[in-house]
Amino acid sequence: MERFKVNFQVNGEPVELDVRPSETLLETLRDRLELTGAKEGCGLGACGSCTVLLDGLPTRSCIVLTAEVDGSEVTTIEGLAEGEKLDPVQESFMEKGAVQCGFCTPGMILTARSLLDRNPRPTREDIIRSISSNVCRCTGYKKIVEAVEAVSSTETPET
Amino acid sequence: MIASKFEFRSPKDVEEAVRLYREFEGEAVYLSGGTDLVPRMKLGLEKPKVVIDLKRIASLTTVEDQGDWIRIGALARIFDLKQNDIVRGEFPALEASLEGTSCESLQMRGTIGGNLLQNSRCLFYNQSEFWRRSKGFCLKMGGESCNAVPGAKTCFANYCSDNATALCTLSAEIELSGPDGTRRVNLEGLYSNKAERPFEIQPGEILTAIFLPKMRSVGGYEKLRVRGAIDYPLLGVAFSFVDGTGKLAVGAVGPRPYVVEIKQPFRDTVGEAVETVLKQVKPVGNTVLDPDYRKQMIPVLAGRLVNKVMEGAK
Repeated sequence: MERFKVNFQVNGEPVELDVRPSETLLETLRDRLELTGAKEGCGLGACGSCTVLLDGLPTRSCIVLTAEVDGSEVTTIEGLAEGEKLDPVQESFMEKGAVQCGFCTPGMILTARSLLDRNPRPTREDIIRSISSNVCRCTGYKKIVEAVEAVSSTETPET
Repeated sequence: MIASKFEFRSPKDVEEAVRLYREFEGEAVYLSGGTDLVPRMKLGLEKPKVVIDLKRIASLTTVEDQGDWIRIGALARIFDLKQNDIVRGEFPALEASLEGTSCESLQMRGTIGGNLLQNSRCLFYNQSEFWRRSKGFCLKMGGESCNAVPGAKTCFANYCSDNATALCTLSAEIELSGPDGTRRVNLEGLYSNKAERPFEIQPGEILTAIFLPKMRSVGGYEKLRVRGAIDYPLLGVAFSFVDGTGKLAVGAVGPRPYVVEIKQPFRDTVGEAVETVLKQVKPVGNTVLDPDYRKQMIPVLAGRLVNKVMEGAK
């Protein structure tokens, strides 16, 4: 079976792998690199629970072939904290109770992180538009929106 | 997981991509954003011997003002395109359809060309191979008859591109490059009107660009769906008004967008235009909404959209 050689960065570390061309990024992350934060939900790109950041943008890793990410930078939920220090979005999700079963949480947090990196003071509408990419079956989204709003005001206070 | 085995290639130009297609004797698929193709491979609806990734071909991603025409590279991402100044300034129907496409994360991956060439969809077709085998293959899978309308010899799958509907109201043209050279046709000429094989594309042809006449328009897009994000359209209606003439297009209720010209876009003529469309469409029970409801929503969305656009144009 043909293999495909890929070089990319995962959470700042270089990775070199020989993969099956049909292998998805989610399979590579979970099965080879033991990064199980990204979850497989629908497996067809609809639910967003497999979201990782690909060159800074939220991407559904279940419908991306690992062969496609050669030369790219991937950030998973495991790469968001700096040592013991959680990312402000992670802190805010805990603070606001924006987590119930937790299955969508890694994808939600990464989607929110990417939004805040691109737009430090999003409106409530911006936040809802962005996180509507990700399905949550528990919370009804209210606490999640509040958690993202809280980070936005802490990270860039109004002057 | 994807059960089938294939090779992966990422050519640097269109000629190399076409050469690879020929090398694999047509058992190849071109990959753009992959938001339609990869799920299809996972469901066993595509079993190529090679996947040819077009994303490394830089010339396919740019948007250019060519004077009389705006050229949009087929691999321009939906998210980038909806923020493009030319699109926002000149083509509001397209801007609205880009915004209405799926959700932000998928817009960041999906491309305009991939969106146009997405395969038609049906509740009885976009299923796993196990599910489809247990029911028996339908027309679109090479079987004898339709599974959505048992016994029918016609395929009723819906073509669900939001952006094609909008582009049809803007008189878009497309450029295709393949083994026999490059050709440019009206977007409406892309469609075969047969849902099982919706496109008039020659083997190995690549959609390289979309061209829009550079004329300022007013317009919009209305989409019927169950959730406010992610969902494919269950009905899409686009309207553009350019230089005294309106064009209305209705999508996701058949194998192609249905396009009608409206000379004076006021209430009566919209009614006539909608009647023309209603005579052509035959929605059936192959989506999550009742087909009669989808059909009845055509005049509702069309009337609402045309009024809104023309009010804004005053």
